[in-house]
Amino acid sequence: MASGQDTVSLRWNERRRDIGIIIWISFLSACAGTFVIFALLDPDALNQAWVLPWEMGRKLAYSLGFLFLFCVAAIASSLTTFMIRTGPRRGHHTGKGRKPAPQIKPDAAEDPEFGIDPGEWR
Amino acid sequence: MSADSAPGQSLYRKEPKIYPRQVNGRFARLRDLAMYVLLGLFYVMPWLTINGHQAVLFDLPGRRFYILGLTFWPQDFIYLALLLVAAGLSLFFFTALAGRLWCGYACPQTVWTEAFLMMERWTEGNRQKRIKLDAAPWSANKLLRKSAKQFLWVTFAVWTGFTFVGFFTPIRELAQNVLSFSLGPWETFWTLFYGGATYANAGYLRAQVCKYMCPYARFQGAMFDPDTLIISYDESRGEPRGSRRKGIKPEEVGLGDCINCTLCVQVCPTGIDIREGLQYECIACAACIDVCDQVMDKMEYPRGLIRYTTENALKNNTTHVIRPRLLVYGTILLLLICGTLWSMTTRTPLRADLIRDRNALYRELPGDMIENVYNLKITNMDDVAHTYSLLPEIPGVAEVESSRPLRLEASSVAGFSVRIRMPRDAGSGVQSLTLELSSEDNPDIRKKIDAKVLLPVSSGANR
Repeated sequence: MASGQDTVSLRWNERRRDIGIIIWISFLSACAGTFVIFALLDPDALNQAWVLPWEMGRKLAYSLGFLFLFCVAAIASSLTTFMIRTGPRRGHHTGKGRKPAPQIKPDAAEDPEFGIDPGEWR
Repeated sequence: MSADSAPGQSLYRKEPKIYPRQVNGRFARLRDLAMYVLLGLFYVMPWLTINGHQAVLFDLPGRRFYILGLTFWPQDFIYLALLLVAAGLSLFFFTALAGRLWCGYACPQTVWTEAFLMMERWTEGNRQKRIKLDAAPWSANKLLRKSAKQFLWVTFAVWTGFTFVGFFTPIRELAQNVLSFSLGPWETFWTLFYGGATYANAGYLRAQVCKYMCPYARFQGAMFDPDTLIISYDESRGEPRGSRRKGIKPEEVGLGDCINCTLCVQVCPTGIDIREGLQYECIACAACIDVCDQVMDKMEYPRGLIRYTTENALKNNTTHVIRPRLLVYGTILLLLICGTLWSMTTRTPLRADLIRDRNALYRELPGDMIENVYNLKITNMDDVAHTYSLLPEIPGVAEVESSRPLRLEASSVAGFSVRIRMPRDAGSGVQSLTLELSSEDNPDIRKKIDAKVLLPVSSGANR
């Protein structure tokens, strides 16, 4: 229960919350996915089509299937979290915290001070 | 959000639509070349035939991939994994070496956006004309130009979707089906799906995908170091910026070399100002370099106010092209590629699985022989037909008999019923027996197979 001066014990910081949510939601998704897949598919049937050189029993197939789905869901969740955490903050689309779009000069015809005609390099 | 008059919001303006100005120059030519080569490969490849197969065909129902004359089977999926690792490593390598080369020249998002922009230019004209057209009220001219653009975009997108499906279904058959209006439902779906995605991504989303959706754009910065090639504005040379007439030397007016023409902003597909420094939005397309070089030529100033450079070079430090990070990436990449090529060229184009017939234990034959029955599945991964023979590794240990000759056509799979006979006194219980399957016409093609043979548990007793 190491807590610095500024942390309240038992309250998780953002990173911990993220990791906790990623693992838990991936687990739930993998459970649901495993149910659905193996309700429709008998893993024993896989042995005929299985490409690896060892036989895969039902138990192993169920476990591997679950772990595989868990991994895939965890990768997706982690990347999503990463993209959201590193992306623009709330209110970005209304201009909050965003620098204004760069100013563009009007064309040379409208701005005689500007020495060259940009229309030349279309 | 035109009614953006809420207090505190008035400082911000709506993000303007980006109308990238066309640019000519060295890097624009390079980008065009990349576009023609990559799109050319995509659209032409499925129509080529190598070794009697479509040059690139991912035959999912047949469970095999034909890639440039090579045939890959599900068992070869390790090569796919290695290929992905190699692709990832080369991304690291080139990012560390030269920044976002991938984004600027090779990413499908960039390449198709370029193609769609090109069609937009054909129909709606250059940047100013496009801005004026969008602002103008609807007229016959606007309708004509807009519909011409949509026609080109949709046609190109559907053709793209069709080509995409052509990588998975033989494209000549597919074309015949299209012409006879007998395209299957899934082929139609995937054609429209991929076509629709191309249309939306290249027509409308464009560089927004890079800014908001692309994971590579977010983490590529981690692979950068001060020696990485970046596109940068030379602030010490350009500032203070300001407009002036042609032919005036910067020092005469107390300005830097930047004439503040904002052309670098106008050509930018992501709508940023490169003069504000390296930004994560920058996809390193080098359009600003080309346009700035042209301005510098006009002004008779030296080129390179915006250029490919490195952080070290900008700080007047020496740039090290060869550095540990690159050596590590490069070495691993080279080893991986060589290993994969070596393993691919020396792989045995034969696979065999021997599975005991589960319905029978064993059969006792006259002469104290015990017979076990198996199913043998052989995959001939070679381009020519072969006849194989199956023999025990140690001659004479067992008799092996197959229901019919073990002959397989090129690239085919077949199942055979195989009987193995061993003398009763060869052992007790489960015995391991090593067999060898070899091609009769090419002794290099051989495979060892382990068989489990059941014999009566104790000799003399009946079961």
